[in-house]
Amino acid sequence: MAANIQPIVRLKNVCKSYGDHQILKNINLELEAGKFYTLLGPSGCGKTTILRTIAGFTDVTAGDVEFDGQVVNDLPANQRQVNTVFQDYALFPHLNVAENVAFGLKLNKVPKAEIDKRVAEALAMVQLADFGDREISEISGGQQQRVAIARALVMRPKVLLLDEPLSALDAKLRKDMQYELRELQQSLGITFLFVTHDQEEALAMSDEIFVMREGEILQGGSPVDIYDEPINHFVANFIGESNIIPGKMIQDFEVEFVGKSFECADAGMRPNEAIEVVLRPEDLDIVAAAQGKLVVTVDSQLFRGNYFEIVAYDTDGNEWLVHSTNPADEGEPIGLTFDPQDIHVMRLNETEAAFDARLEKYEDD
Amino acid sequence: MSIRNFKWRNLYLWFVFIVLYAPIIFLIVYSFSKGETMNNFHGFTWAHYQDLFADSRLIAIFLDTLLVALLSSILATIVGTLGALGISQTTRAITKNTLLSLNNILMVSPDVIIGASFLIFFTALKIPLGFGSVLLSHIAFSIPIVVLMVLPKVQEMSRSLLDAAADLGANSWQLLSQVTIPYIMPGILSGFFMALTYSLDDFAVTFFVTGNGFSTLSVEIYSRARQGINLEINALSGLMFLMALILVIGYYFINQYSSRHRHASTRGRRK
Repeated sequence: MAANIQPIVRLKNVCKSYGDHQILKNINLELEAGKFYTLLGPSGCGKTTILRTIAGFTDVTAGDVEFDGQVVNDLPANQRQVNTVFQDYALFPHLNVAENVAFGLKLNKVPKAEIDKRVAEALAMVQLADFGDREISEISGGQQQRVAIARALVMRPKVLLLDEPLSALDAKLRKDMQYELRELQQSLGITFLFVTHDQEEALAMSDEIFVMREGEILQGGSPVDIYDEPINHFVANFIGESNIIPGKMIQDFEVEFVGKSFECADAGMRPNEAIEVVLRPEDLDIVAAAQGKLVVTVDSQLFRGNYFEIVAYDTDGNEWLVHSTNPADEGEPIGLTFDPQDIHVMRLNETEAAFDARLEKYEDD
Repeated sequence: MSIRNFKWRNLYLWFVFIVLYAPIIFLIVYSFSKGETMNNFHGFTWAHYQDLFADSRLIAIFLDTLLVALLSSILATIVGTLGALGISQTTRAITKNTLLSLNNILMVSPDVIIGASFLIFFTALKIPLGFGSVLLSHIAFSIPIVVLMVLPKVQEMSRSLLDAAADLGANSWQLLSQVTIPYIMPGILSGFFMALTYSLDDFAVTFFVTGNGFSTLSVEIYSRARQGINLEINALSGLMFLMALILVIGYYFINQYSSRHRHASTRGRRK
């Protein structure tokens, strides 16, 4: 993260607890202008709480929330330069579509003519140009979703917060909305902070993802970084599918697992340190048993449309998940090959800061 | 088989309605009867209605009753709505349950006891009995009704509606006036109409606190009926029945209207 760019929103050592229960543990986070950020984590990990502290619905127990370098801890929600799209949309049932979108503008005493113009623009932006006169109860869930987005965007916020806005939509609509949201964000140049528990959604839409667990940000980075170089077991498991195998770091660029040693691209660890190895199912290629770096026995397979999902076991009893375009024979041994850079080594209990420092050290060499 | 069942069911329904409505219809029919008793129908006349409208005391009482009902239900609606909002905002379960129980006790306790206690209360405080005492007691027994009608709407309202409004720049007053009140309006109207009907037909409580000189319709009818049958009362009953009918129909249409606006925001709610 470049230090010379002033972030729009910064959370500094933010903690939140209810009684003895700690929801957020020392959260540090910076949002730059015009980027799409995602908070990703299982339910109850505190991601919505982060959103609420930025929106001003929840106050922090410790730490600072800053907008443009100003601490806004005590600024109430109605004076903050952010707007929110809620999980349940929170549309006002007593107002129609256009009145819902105009709600915030009316409160801000924007002139009538300008309200009409901006409402029409906002509705056109979410492809609901002709829906202004409809009652909220008359439109579908997907359309309500769009109204909620239009209602927030019409305020021209610097940051748009989205709290699992797609979770109530069906799979097809969700996918369409992912594209639309991404396009909206890029064309408007507004910072989006998107909360979700769906890793596919996060990978598809984000410039940067923060993976959370139990009130902590475990790892932040681009989707590719997080996918290719997960910091620990939890992140590797949560983002995409993975084979996580215990092993040992023999020396720099040499790792041992399933009783064999392999060349790898990782370094900076103690010799013979116990580690975990991540191999993504799509990085494994099936070859004849004799030619494989590893030999595993096929247990079962499922046809997934564009690939076969094969479950196999090695001699140590580790389960291996393999994605292959060709089917395998159940009960038969197969060979697996992979490139050195497909192996990702994770130290046990490494913090994000230590991880980044180690990566920088040996990548500079 | 099903056709036979169907017929029996209909018959039963008609029987129940006839039993329920026969006395009222009987009363109304005799309001058009010539003569002074309800023993026989002596032919059609509007005479009793003419007497009724010539009876300035009765008309004054009718207007007083209406005034008490309107004033008490408006004030009770305001107090009761604020009460419901307050109860819904209590965070501790025990406080909320205590407040609700105190509210419900007033609903279920017999009117006679409430009336008697008001009488004792007013005399102890040396509040003169009359219009004021009747109004106060009507407000008091209407508040719990309003609370009970408004509270479900308040609790049904998603918390995120208020967050959304604040997010869009609403201050506390705007939250109340532009989000909460419109949302719970159907409950407020139901509460108002319930309070209105309770006040209009209350006898027991009013009977204790009217004192001399001031009277409401139900108390007046009671005291006149004790002096002997007067068909003017039948005419009055007929008019009151008509008024109740209009109120019910009005209430029905308001409900119809507000249910068209509902249903939104309940969709797609999770967590």
